[in-house]
Amino acid sequence: MTPNNALEFKGRMLSLTRARVVDADLAAITAQLRDFARQMPQAVIGMPIVLEADAPLPLDGVLAALREVGMQPLGVVDGPLADAARELGLAVLPPDTGATRSRPAPAAPAAAAPPPPPPPPVAAQRVPTRVVNDPVRSGQQIYAADGDLVVTSTVSPGAEVVADGCVHLYGTLRGRAIAGARGDTSARIFCRRFEAELVAVAGVYAVAEQMQGDLRGKPAQVVLVDGKLKIEPLDW
Amino acid sequence: MAKIVVVTSGKGGVGKTTTSASFSTGLAMRGHKTVVIDFDVGLRNLDLIMGCERRVVFDFVNVINGEANLRQALIKDKTHDKLYILAASQTRDKDALTEEGVGRVLEELAKEFDYIVCDSPAGIERGAHLAMYYADEALVVTNPEVSSVRDSDRVLGLLSSKTQHVEKGEGRVKEHLVLTRYNPMRVEKGEMLSIDDVTEILAIPLLGVIPESPAVLSSSNAGAPVILNQETDAGRAYDDLVARFLGEERPHRFITAEKKGLFGRIFGG
Repeated sequence: MTPNNALEFKGRMLSLTRARVVDADLAAITAQLRDFARQMPQAVIGMPIVLEADAPLPLDGVLAALREVGMQPLGVVDGPLADAARELGLAVLPPDTGATRSRPAPAAPAAAAPPPPPPPPVAAQRVPTRVVNDPVRSGQQIYAADGDLVVTSTVSPGAEVVADGCVHLYGTLRGRAIAGARGDTSARIFCRRFEAELVAVAGVYAVAEQMQGDLRGKPAQVVLVDGKLKIEPLDW
Repeated sequence: MAKIVVVTSGKGGVGKTTTSASFSTGLAMRGHKTVVIDFDVGLRNLDLIMGCERRVVFDFVNVINGEANLRQALIKDKTHDKLYILAASQTRDKDALTEEGVGRVLEELAKEFDYIVCDSPAGIERGAHLAMYYADEALVVTNPEVSSVRDSDRVLGLLSSKTQHVEKGEGRVKEHLVLTRYNPMRVEKGEMLSIDDVTEILAIPLLGVIPESPAVLSSSNAGAPVILNQETDAGRAYDDLVARFLGEERPHRFITAEKKGLFGRIFGG
């Protein structure tokens, strides 16, 4: 490459949104797009779109509907739409994923496209488990957001321990324990001595009166099975 | 520097003021210069139990408001010259206490005294909060029954979060359990929680067990703290308690049913 070249070629990653036409009814498509734009007005503005369809459809009408809400149709996936797209000067991309980056869209729409958002980090941040070593006293409430809660001491009557994940209690549970506070149905409660006032997993709860008496004072776990709360012995 | 000890419980009527009176008298009897403050503004009682109600001129609120100085408000005990009482105001309410004002009075007292005993009002509101806020140690007075234990548990939670030491990150308040109105006979019958039941729930060290005793009521009415009456179980138990607080090793007494019937003696307990 010499500095005299008129063009400079650079590879670039673009994140595109694929829109697959399931129902070719233009009115339905327009309505859905408007609805989508109302819910996420920030996201649709400038959103680069690649259209995909299994049957031919009036392409110019769909393009107009996409542009109306602020999206930028860049091309179509090779198939029934290919000929119409070439006539309109849009790119035709091979159907398999990954090909979009080797064949960039035509210069004009691509230049207008905003810089794509940075790709999200691959590994999600792990929320550290909250560990409480002091007794949880009556009237105290401990909440572990987004993760697990471990209490090495007892939870008194009238105290409340809550976690979005699991609740692990190495002392006696005499108060309330709530796991999966934001709806995680796989969350559990484990405790070494079960004398709870109330236990709940993902909003399904049981009060002391509803619990079988034979587990009282024993190691137990609380699990949600088919939407029902089960208190099981934990033996080892 | 003085040590500030709060006597607290959450629940009313469990023996906070009785304990405050005997505890502070016991400290003074052992030679420590002690002042006991009644934080129960509006429901003044400590002066009655200490037998100085006829000598109250100025009170704690007067000192906080600057209407009197400490020298004028402190009442010297009639029998122990190392013991002083700061009475509560009967005509005001607990809003008269301010964090800044209480802190200032305690600071001034700390210059002169070895021990400052704060007799907390019942509840967990302003008066109780300020009584415990500056404490170094706490006597948590509990009766062997479930509601008292639960309230004490609540107070222990506050002691571990709402005190100056904790808020400033200077460590924590040292907690002692005082079990009052203990009746071993009723424990044996299963009518009352046992020492083990209570200590297991509250999980703090036991400082003393005061047996249920008619002497407590008669001492209160006579205006002489029960610790002065060493003929009684309760008086001796308070004496043990003070000794233990000061670091002496003493076995717990009056915690088992003494008088067994003939069959009990033959067949064992």
